Order: sequence, then structure tokens, then C-alpha cells
Amino acid sequence: MSSTARAIQTRLPRLAEAAVERARLTVVPRGRTRAAKVPFVTLLSLLMLGGVVGLLLFNTSMQQSAFAATELQDRATVLTARQASLSMQLERLRDPQNVARRAQAQGLVLPAAPQFLDLSDGTVTGTTDAALAPGTLALDPPPAPLPAELRPPAPTQAPPEGTLPGDRDRSGDRDGSGDGDRSGDRDRDRSGGREGSDAGDRSGDRAGARDGSGREGQQDQTGDDTGEDAPRGNRDGDAGGGRNVQ
Amino acid sequence: MRQTRQPMRRTAARGPARPAGELRGSPQLRLRIGFLVIAMVLSVFVGRLVQLQGLDPASYASMAAAEGLEEIVLPAERGDILDRNGEPLAESVDGLMVVADPALTADDAPELARFLANRLDVDYFTILPRLRAEDSRFQYIARSVPAALATSVVSKARALGYDGLVTERDPVREYPAGDVAANLVGFVGTPRKNGTTKPLAGFERTFDDLLDGVDGEARYSVAAGNRVPLGENTTVPAVDGEDLRTTLDRDLQFYSQRVLRQAVRDSGGESGSVVVLDSRTGDVLTLADYPTFDANHPLESDEADLGSRAVSDVYEPGSVEKVLTVAGLVDAGKVTARTRLTVPGVLQREGDNPISDWFDHGTIRLTLAGVIAQSSNIGTVMATEKYDDGELRSYLDAFGLGRTTGTGIRGESAGILPDESIWSDALQDRIAFGQSVSVNALQMAAAVNTIANGGVRIDPSVVLGSATTDSGQQVGTDHATERRVISEDAARQTTHMMERVVDPEVGVAPGAAVPGYRVAGKTGTAQRASSECQCYDGSYTVSFAGFAPADDPRFTIYVVVQNPTNGGGGGSVGGPAFSKIMGYALRRYAVPPTGTDPSRLPVEW
Repeated sequence: MSSTARAIQTRLPRLAEAAVERARLTVVPRGRTRAAKVPFVTLLSLLMLGGVVGLLLFNTSMQQSAFAATELQDRATVLTARQASLSMQLERLRDPQNVARRAQAQGLVLPAAPQFLDLSDGTVTGTTDAALAPGTLALDPPPAPLPAELRPPAPTQAPPEGTLPGDRDRSGDRDGSGDGDRSGDRDRDRSGGREGSDAGDRSGDRAGARDGSGREGQQDQTGDDTGEDAPRGNRDGDAGGGRNVQ
Repeated sequence: MRQTRQPMRRTAARGPARPAGELRGSPQLRLRIGFLVIAMVLSVFVGRLVQLQGLDPASYASMAAAEGLEEIVLPAERGDILDRNGEPLAESVDGLMVVADPALTADDAPELARFLANRLDVDYFTILPRLRAEDSRFQYIARSVPAALATSVVSKARALGYDGLVTERDPVREYPAGDVAANLVGFVGTPRKNGTTKPLAGFERTFDDLLDGVDGEARYSVAAGNRVPLGENTTVPAVDGEDLRTTLDRDLQFYSQRVLRQAVRDSGGESGSVVVLDSRTGDVLTLADYPTFDANHPLESDEADLGSRAVSDVYEPGSVEKVLTVAGLVDAGKVTARTRLTVPGVLQREGDNPISDWFDHGTIRLTLAGVIAQSSNIGTVMATEKYDDGELRSYLDAFGLGRTTGTGIRGESAGILPDESIWSDALQDRIAFGQSVSVNALQMAAAVNTIANGGVRIDPSVVLGSATTDSGQQVGTDHATERRVISEDAARQTTHMMERVVDPEVGVAPGAAVPGYRVAGKTGTAQRASSECQCYDGSYTVSFAGFAPADDPRFTIYVVVQNPTNGGGGGSVGGPAFSKIMGYALRRYAVPPTGTDPSRLPVEW
């Protein structure tokens, strides 16, 4: 590098050498940069420090709100679930069956006929019949008959004094068969639970099948009608019991 | 890379021979060694980069994503099934299943089982072996538990020191009204493994596409149980299912079901149905069946009770059909309500069995109104003679017999209206009073409603608005069509004749009257055809169809009871049930009496 510079120097004519030297001296004034350095560095350091601290604080607060958000989310989930189960309870209370049962328990009865008041001319229309007797509407089905094994056993006669040798055997049998029944029931319950989900499909199919078979049967029957001897006709009204078609 | 550089190093080291002290100080050499070290380290990085990015980038990316990234399903809520006033017939509740890990629960099994049996609706002896199951890490303890209950039980168990219980999503379908409209709404099964609902019957199944929502998904980075702020966070919101709004009226449906149950039980019947239609719009306000089932516990009921008999059972309508026959005759201009008929005790027709009436009589002189009021088979057959060929069939076809109603209720049977090819005079005589023709209850109610609605038949509908069934059919009130079947005048005359049926002096069903209102109706007592013996088996179908107020009908109600064993007929079994339900409907919708006098048409001459 120095060799090339020297070459240029030798090549250049030494014209206005003094002016060139002066110009070179004034290019870089010394000391100016030194004066500006301290505040600039301070500013930079402050900016950096402030930035780092600010970022840290920001990050911390973000974390803080993340914790808060998670906690609130959990609370919201719990409250939503609670609200759902409460509204479920409410709907159960509003079930018409439940309302009707409570109304009946309070002695409310069904009206026979309403009366209407016309607001424009003040006339009242409708009959004034007595309300229907309490309990006119049966809310619950009568209890189903007990299954055979729960029904109280028919009164047995006490055996006469002394037991016959066969009696003990018989009682042993009874116990054995009782156990068998019970285990059978349990099996049935379990299989019912497992296959239960298919019941709907089956019922859908069955409806179709019922339709088909019904139609077939009835068409056949129309074909056969003329061959029948019995007189035909419909029975109507209340007293139709015995004297319908004959 | 390393190998290409090695010769250079050797040349550099061997280059100018210098003493050891100088060698350490040479800047060029130091630079070269430094560069070499950097290059070696960089080349390791490059190799790793190629391995990660070039060979199998996808699996590494997903491994990275899975680290600390949580994915949760945002469950979509299944739409509710509502009645016409927005009361819920079926609704969904957030639910959870409680699952045990026997590896952790086996030690405390008896205590934990007792704890769970006390709090959840589970049986101690059922869950005890599950808590102890060997070689298993997953055992169901309870399914479809309301979320609030499940989380509180599991957290309480954890607080007591029982580990190994977790919850997973398991939606709960709740039918708040139990058996009310269960025959139409249907039910759902135990949810599938992935937590989606399995519809099994009724509207739940037919309109599943509408009710079912689309699950959403949320993915976010997690650290120590908390979301990482500014971490990855994408949410696809769940799309909830839409509600299905039916035309049913829950309270009226409830009342009708209770009245029907009483009517069927009191008469010793086998089954029964009630249909209540809004006369003007054809909306099905009630479609009750008995026996029915509790939608919350469908498996406790007989499988045969899980559908709707009102649409799936077909039977011969009997005398109720006479009003259609007569309405057609009046519309065709062949007769009027005052047409005079001389009715013999028994009518012997060519090629058929003798036709008789339900009551013994000699030759009596009835008007057409009297024929309806007293439900005379012979009188109806005599009037039917006036029909032209094929006319009765086209009227019945127009009334909608022999065709499904297209409401979207599952398992509907079309009934049978005999084809023209087998139509004969003898067949027409029988059809005139409701034999040799089969209907379902909804069909028949819609046919009678035609008369109530001034001769215009409206398709009945059970869905408010519009919905698409699982077979792609559009159903609902938006798609109900109207069609004039008989003239307004014919409808009015028929109504006047039907009013005589509930007249306490001349009619056969005074029990169907509603105090204060004008009621038009018709009884039906038909022999039941059995498909087994292919004959009439001696049992009966009794029914009552009618509407009120007669001069401005609002409701059409049809009550059917199959096989009553107390010897009752349409008037004594169906009539009182009709009266109760009609009275309730009129009160409920605040329909005032019209205040006009009932029909006084002569029944004899």
C-alpha cells in the first residue's frame, strides 16, 4: 500500500504543495469527538437499561396476567358447569308433571269451563259449571304389579307335627333354584346394558317391518272377505257391547 | 471440509522453518488456526442443520410443536329440541365421564368405592371390581355425569388423598319433561368414544345433522400449567348445533298424554293415540301415544313402545270415515244434510255379506244428518250409491288417505287405500263406513281437519319453520301445502251434521260435548283386522274425531284406543277423553265460545 502511494506521489506534479498540505491538516479536527462521547454513551446506556428493565417488567406483568387468566378460565368453567346444572334443576322443577303434582297437592282442581269477560262492553260469556272433581287427572300410572319373586308368598300351611324325610330335600331344592334365578337376572341386566344402545336402531327397523306385515295381512284379508259368512258392520255408540254385528 | 483444509495446515506448519518461540507469535499462523477452529465448529452446525432440515423436517417440527403445546377440543353443544313456545323437550348439558386408573386406585378400592357410591349415581358392587381391575389403566366409573358434579367429586377425592381418578368429556342429554313427547323426540345412546352423541331414535336421529354441532379446537403453548404469553395460540371456535323448534305444545301434550293413559287404562285397552291439530295451520300441537317411555331411561321400557304408534300403526278407521264419505257426497251435489233415506234393518247387497247397524232397528226414516248422528252403516251405504264410478276413491285420495303425511316423524306407514284395479261396488260399500281401508291416526286427523278448515286440506307439520330430515326431505310449516278438497258449503253442511253426534238427545256421543262450546265430531268403532288369522279377530278400535268451536274451528282432535276390553265404543271411550282435551285446549288458548246456537238439523222424517 505504501509503495503505491509513493508512486502516485512521484507521478504527481508538485504544484501548490503548500495549499495541499494546509488542506490535509484541516480535514480531521481533533478533540471534537471526545467532547460528545460521554453524554451519548450515557444516553445509550440509559436507553438500554430502561429497555431491559421495561421488558422485564412487561414480561413479569404478562406472566402475572397469564396466571390470572388461567385462574379466571378455571373459575369460568366451574361456574358454567354450575349454571348448567342449576338450569337443569330448574327445568326439572318446571316439568309439567311436577307442576301438576304440586298443584294437586295444594288442592287445585281443573275448571270445567272458562268464562270470558269482554272488556269493550263488559259482557260475560261462558257457562258457570262446577270445577271437575279433585284428582280428575291421574298424574301417575298405577304401580306396576310386583315381579313374581317379590310377591309375598302364598300362605303355607305349617306341616303337621314331625317332618317327613322328603321335606328337607324339597327345601334344599328351593334354595338352589332361588340362587339360580338371581344369577340369571344379573346376567340379563348386564347384557341389557351393553346392547342397550342398539335398541333404537332395532325399533326403527321394526316399525318398517310392522308396516310391511300389516299391509300384507290386510290385503290378503280384503281378498278373502267375500268368502266370509259372518255379517259385517261397525258397532258404535255406548251401548254396543253385546249386540254389535250379529 | 476438514479434510480439504488439512493439507493446507500441513503446508502452513511446514512452510518456513522457524524456531518454536517465533512460531507461537506469528499472527498469520494464529489467524489460520483460529479460522480452522471456527470452520470446524461451523461445519458441525451445518451438518446438524442438514440433518434437521433436509432429512426429516416434518417429524422434528411436530416434536418441537408437541413440546409444551396443548391441544384441547372445544366441544360444540348439541342443539335443543323445543316446543312451539320455546320450552325444552330435549337439552344438552356439559357432561364428563369419571374414569379410574386401577393401578392407582386398587389400594384404597373399598373406601374409594364407598366414597363414589355416595356421591355419584353408581353401585358400590359394580365399581369395586373396576377399581381393582388388574392389567388395566382405564375403567369407567360413571358416564355422562353433569360437569359440575363430576369435577367437584374428583377434586374432593383428590383432597382426601385418593389418586387415579380423571374426568373426560362425555355430553349429557337431558329430557326435562321425561315421557312428554318422548315418542316424537326420541333419545340418544351412550356417547361414542370420542365424546360425540349417538342419536338413536325420533327427532334426535332424524334431524341429527341440524342438532349436531362441529367441535372446535384450541392450541396454545403451556408452561407449568399456564398459557405462555405471546406463545403459539390458535383457536378454532366450536359451532354449536342449531335448535329444532317443533309445533308441539308441551303442556297440552302432557295433559293429552295423561288423559290418554287414563282413557286406555280405564277401558282396559291395549294402546292409544291422541292427535291435536291447529285447524287453521295444520300444526301438530300434540301427538300422544300410550304406552310410551321415559326419554331419560328408554331402556326401561318395552322396545315396542319406543316409537310413535300414531303414525306407525295402521288400522281401519271405522265410522269416523263416514264423514269423509258424506262430505264428498255433499260436495258432489248428490245429497244435502236433509236428504231423506229409508233405512231397513239389514241391508243385503249383491256379492257381499249382509250389512247391519250397531243398534237393532226395523225400517226407520233417517235424514242424512240422522245417519251421521246415529252412525248408521246402512244409511251411509245407501247414500254412497249416489257416487259416480271412482268418485269416492278420488275424494278419499284427496283427503290424504293411503299416502304418508310427510311430517318427518320416523316409521310412518302410509295406510291402505285399495287400488282402482281392485275397486268394486262391494268394496266401496265397506269403505263408505270405514272398513277395508287403513289409516294411521295422524292421517285421519288431517282428513277430518279438512272439514274443520272449510274444505281445504293442510299438510300437518311437526316442525316449526323448516328442517331437513336424514333422508334429505324438507319438512316443516314452511313446506306445508294447502289443497281444496270440498267446497266451503259442503264443509259447513258436514259440520252441522257432525254437531248432531254430540247432541244429548239424538247423537251417540253426548260425552264428547264441551260445556259452553259448539262441538262437531264423529265416533268410530271398527273391528280390528288381525294379520295372523287374516280376519276380524273380534277386537275393536274405538275412536273419536272432532273439532271446536264448530262454527269457527280452532282445534281438531282425534282420540284412538285400540282393543278396549270393557265393551266401550267410540262414544264412551274416546268421547270423554276428547271432551277433556278439547276443553283444556280451548281454555289454554283462551278461545271464547262463539255464542251461536248449535245445529238443529232434523235427524228423522
